[in-house]
Amino acid sequence: MTLSMTTSRRLVKGVGNVLLLLMLLWTAIPFYWMVATSLKPSKEIYGYEATLIPQNPTLANYATILWDTPYMLFLRNSVTVAVASTLLSIIAATLGAYAIARLNFPGRALMARGLVVTYLVPGSLLFIPLFALFSSLRLTDSLTGLTLAYLGADVPFCTWLLLGYFRSVPVELEEAALVDGCNRISALIRIVLPLALPAIVVVIFFSFTRAWNEFLYAHVFTSTNQARTITTGLANFMNEDVFFWGPLMASTIISAILPVAMFLILQRGVVQGLTLGGVKG
Amino acid sequence: MATSTPVSIPIPSSRPALSWQERVQRFLLRDSTLGYLFLFPALLIVLGLVAYPFVNAVLMTFQEKTAGAPGRFIGLANYRELLANPVFWQTVWNMLVYTGLGVGLKFCIGLSMALVLNQERFCNNLFRSFLLIPWAIPTLISALNWRWIYDDASGLINNVLVRFNLIEETISWLSDPNLAMFSVIAVVVWQGTPFFTMAFLAGLQAIPRELYEAAEIDGASILQQFWYITIARLRPIFITAVMLSTIWTSSGIQFVYILTNGGPADRTQIFPMLSFTYALGGAQRLGMGATVSLFFFPVLVIFIFFLTRRMLRERGEE
Amino acid sequence: MQTRRNILRQAGTAAALVATSPWWLVRRAHAARDKKLIVWSGATLAPQVDKLLKEQFDAYIKQAGIKESEVDYSVLGTGQITPKLIASLEAGNPPDVMRLGSGSVQLYASQGHLLDVTDLFEKVQSVPGGLFPYFLADAMYQGKAYGVPHQVSPWPLITRMDILEAAKVEPPKTWDEFVEVCKKLQKPPKLTGFGPCLGLHNDTDNNVMNMIWCYGGKLVEADNKTVALHSKGTVQAVQLIADMYNKHKIIPKGAISWDNTGNNKAYQSRQVIFVLNPTSIYAHLAESDKELYDVTALLPVPAGPAGAVEEVTIGYYGLFRHNPYPEVAKGLVEYYMKPENLRVVMEEGDGRWGPPYKQMYESDFWKRPAFQHWRPMLERGRQFSHPGTTNPASGEVLATYVIARMMHRVLVENWEAEKAVEEAHKKAVEIYARHAAGG
Repeated sequence: MTLSMTTSRRLVKGVGNVLLLLMLLWTAIPFYWMVATSLKPSKEIYGYEATLIPQNPTLANYATILWDTPYMLFLRNSVTVAVASTLLSIIAATLGAYAIARLNFPGRALMARGLVVTYLVPGSLLFIPLFALFSSLRLTDSLTGLTLAYLGADVPFCTWLLLGYFRSVPVELEEAALVDGCNRISALIRIVLPLALPAIVVVIFFSFTRAWNEFLYAHVFTSTNQARTITTGLANFMNEDVFFWGPLMASTIISAILPVAMFLILQRGVVQGLTLGGVKG
Repeated sequence: MATSTPVSIPIPSSRPALSWQERVQRFLLRDSTLGYLFLFPALLIVLGLVAYPFVNAVLMTFQEKTAGAPGRFIGLANYRELLANPVFWQTVWNMLVYTGLGVGLKFCIGLSMALVLNQERFCNNLFRSFLLIPWAIPTLISALNWRWIYDDASGLINNVLVRFNLIEETISWLSDPNLAMFSVIAVVVWQGTPFFTMAFLAGLQAIPRELYEAAEIDGASILQQFWYITIARLRPIFITAVMLSTIWTSSGIQFVYILTNGGPADRTQIFPMLSFTYALGGAQRLGMGATVSLFFFPVLVIFIFFLTRRMLRERGEE
Repeated sequence: MQTRRNILRQAGTAAALVATSPWWLVRRAHAARDKKLIVWSGATLAPQVDKLLKEQFDAYIKQAGIKESEVDYSVLGTGQITPKLIASLEAGNPPDVMRLGSGSVQLYASQGHLLDVTDLFEKVQSVPGGLFPYFLADAMYQGKAYGVPHQVSPWPLITRMDILEAAKVEPPKTWDEFVEVCKKLQKPPKLTGFGPCLGLHNDTDNNVMNMIWCYGGKLVEADNKTVALHSKGTVQAVQLIADMYNKHKIIPKGAISWDNTGNNKAYQSRQVIFVLNPTSIYAHLAESDKELYDVTALLPVPAGPAGAVEEVTIGYYGLFRHNPYPEVAKGLVEYYMKPENLRVVMEEGDGRWGPPYKQMYESDFWKRPAFQHWRPMLERGRQFSHPGTTNPASGEVLATYVIARMMHRVLVENWEAEKAVEEAHKKAVEIYARHAAGG
C-alpha cells in the first residue's frame, strides 16, 4: 500500500509535531528545574524533598547576584571577550574555510587536518604552558589575553564547520562568476557568503557561546575583577563543600538568556534579509 | 612568400606585455597565493598557541614531572604504568560506550530535530531558539543541575516517580553501576544535541526547494528524495559535526567530574577524568596526566584522516 | 633557480618560526615583579571572614609602610586554586603567601617551592600555652618548618540532637551502639541514620580511614615507609561499613555517588541523623538555617575496639620561595598569627575552624556547650596518614582515591572485604615504593 503524496506529507508533518513536542519537553524540564531553583530561598532548596513548584518564590537570589557581586563588571568583560574572539574567529575561519573548500594549493589537506588535530590536546593539558607563555608576555589578568586564548580554541572549529557548509554550496555558481571575469575574492563575497549566511549565523552563535561559557582559562588566567568574566563569578558560589545553589542557578539563567536572545534576533534578521533578497532560506 | 634561408624571427607571444602592477595582481589572485594568504591567519593563531605546548606535552609523557621543576626522563615508564593500571581496560571500554553512544544519539536526535524544524510551522524561530538553551548553559552548571535531578533523596526524578506512585524505592541513577554510565550519557546528549540540530538545520536551509520539486516531478518518493537530495547534500556537514563532536565528547571532563567523578567503581571512568586525577587532583604528576591525555592521539589522528578523506579531495576528483 | 618546492619549504619554516616565536621569549623573559606582596586568599565559607582577613591585611601593609599599588590581594574560589597554582609554578610566578593544607605543604616543600619559615614557626610556638604538638609534624620537612599552622578543624560526629533527645536516647559511645541507635531512630526512606561520604572523593577516604583507626587499622607505620593497610582492624572496619550499607541499611543508597557536598546537603535537608565532616556544615548553618543550627551537636566519634580517634584537618600559611621580598611576606603571616588577630578571625568564623593555640580554648567563646568536645578532639585528632606523617606518598594515596575505590569494590562489586583491602594495600605499597625511589 503506497500512500498518496498528500497523506504521506500529512503523516510526516504529524510525526514531526509529536517529535517536536517531546524534544521541547525534554529540553524544558531540566531548564525549568534551574529556573525554579533560582527562585527558591535557600531553606526550600535544602528542604526535605524536592518541591516541584517554588512555595515561596523570591527574587532574592537574583538580587544577590546583581547587587552583592560585581556582576555587571563580569558581564561587560564576558561580552567584550566573547564578541572580540567571535568576530576575529569568524573572519579567519571564513577565509580559511573558503581556501580549503575551493582553492587548490599544495599542503591544503595537511593544513586543514592540522587545524583540527590541535583539538586532540585537551584544554586541561594545554592551559599550563599557555599560562607560562601569557605570563611572560604580560597577558595574564587581561581581556586581551583571554581573547587570544579563546581564538586559538575557536578558529579550528569555526573553520571546519564553515568548510562543511561551503562544500555543500554548488560550485557551478562560482565557476560561472569566474568565467564572467570575477576574481576569487569577489566570488567569495558576492556569491558564497550570502548563500551560507544561515550557516554563518549558527557558527557565530556556537563560537560566541563557547567563549561565553568557558571556565578553565577564565579562572586560571585572571585574578582581579577587572578581567574576570561571568563564569569566574560562578566559582565564587562553589566553596569546598558548600554550594550556594540559588545564586548559582540565578546567575546561570541570566547569562544563558543573552546568547539565546542574540541568536533569535540574528536569525530573524537573516531570514528576513534572505527572503527580501529573494534567496530561499 | 618563398624563402630558402631559415630566418629566426622572434615570434611575439600571444599574451600582451603586462605591467608590473598587473603581474603582482595576477600573482596575488592565483589560487595558491590566495590559499596561503587566506589560511595564514588561522594557522598563525593555532600554531602560535598550540604547536609548542603540544610538542611539550608529548615530551612530558616520557618524563616524571611536577609543576615548576624540569622533568626527569623516564622513557616509557608512564606508558607501562598506565597499561598495568587495572582501571585502564575498564576506561577504554567506557570511552567506547561513552563516545559511541553519546555522539550516535546526538547525531540521530539532532538530525531528526533538524528535519522537523525545517518543516513549515508557526513560531518555528521560537522553537529553534528554545531548543538551543542547553548549549547556552555552561557545561559545569548543566552537570550540577542534573547531578541534583538525579539525586536519590532530593532529586526531581525520584521525587516525581515516588509521588505519583510509579516506583516503590528510589532509583540510584548515579550509584547503580549498571545505570551510571547511561545517566551520564543522557546529560551529554541533553547538552550537546543542539549543536547537531542547528548545524544540520543550517545545512538543510541551504538546499534549494527546486531540487525537491524537480525530483517529485520525476516520480521520486519521499524516501528517495530524502536519501538522494537531503542526505547527499548534508554529507560534508555530517562529517564535520561528527568529527568535532567526537573530539569534544572524548576530551570533555565536566560531566563525569560533576556527576560521578569516575565512579561507581570506575564504571564511568574516562580518559580525560583519569588524566585530571593524575595531573591536577593532588598527585600532580603532570607526566602521567599528559600520557593519559595523549594515549589515543594516534588513533584519533587516523580516525580524522579517514573521516575527512573524501571531503578534502582535490576538486577535480569529486 | 629556486624550485617552487624549495620556496614553499623555506616559507613554511619561516612561518613556523614566526608563529612559535613568542615561545622562545618564555625562556628568556623574566616576569619582572613590581609588586611587593602577592597574596591569594582562598574564599572561606563566610563573607564576613573574607572581609576581616582583608582588613587585617590592609592594616598590616599600612603598618609596614607599603602602598596599596604595590600589593596584590586576590580572593579565589577554592576549587580553582589548584590548577591556578600549578600553572603559576610552571610559569615561575606563584603568590607569596597562601593558605595550604598539610598535604600541599609537604608536596610543595618536597619539590622545593616553599620558603623555610622555621624562625617564624618558633616565634609562633613561643606563644604562652604553645600549639597542639601533633600539628607540628606536618609542617616539618627534613628538619625545617615550611608552614605555619593557623587553623584546625576536627571532624566530629555531627548529630541531630533533637532526634536523640525526643527519643530519650544517649549519644552512642561505640560503633556497635551507633548502629543500634541508627536502626532505632531512622525512618527510611525519608530519614536515614548515617551519611558518610562514599563517592570517589577525598571525604570518603577520610571518613573510612576514621573508622579504620577506631578498629586499630592504619595506612602506614610511623616509619613512613611500611604500608600497613592490610590488617585485621582494617578488614573489620570495612566489613562494618559494608554491613551498615547492606545489612542494617543505615546508610542512604545514594551515598555511593556523593561528592564532598553530598553529605553536607543530606544533613541540611534533614535526611540523615549523623554525618562525619569538618565543622564547615555547622558554621554554614549558623547563617542559613538557625533552627537546624540550634539542634546540631558536635560529638566525639564513637569508639571501636582500638578507641576513638577523630580525623583532623590543619590549615597552614605557606610562603613560596620565588619572592624577592620574603621579609614582607613573613611579616604578614606573623601579623595574622598574633593571638589577638587570630582570635577575632576564629570567632568570626563561628566554629568553622579553631585556632592552633592551646590557650585560646580557655576563652568564653570556646567554653560554649556546643564546643565542649573540641579540645579533646583536637588533642587526639589525627591526619590521614597516622601514625605516619603526611608526605607526597600519602598525598597520592588520598588523591587517587585508593580507599574510596576499596569501598566501591566491596559495596558496588560485592568483593569480600579481605580481598578489597589486599588490593588497596598493594596499590599503596606501589605508591610508597615509587616515592621512596625518588619518583
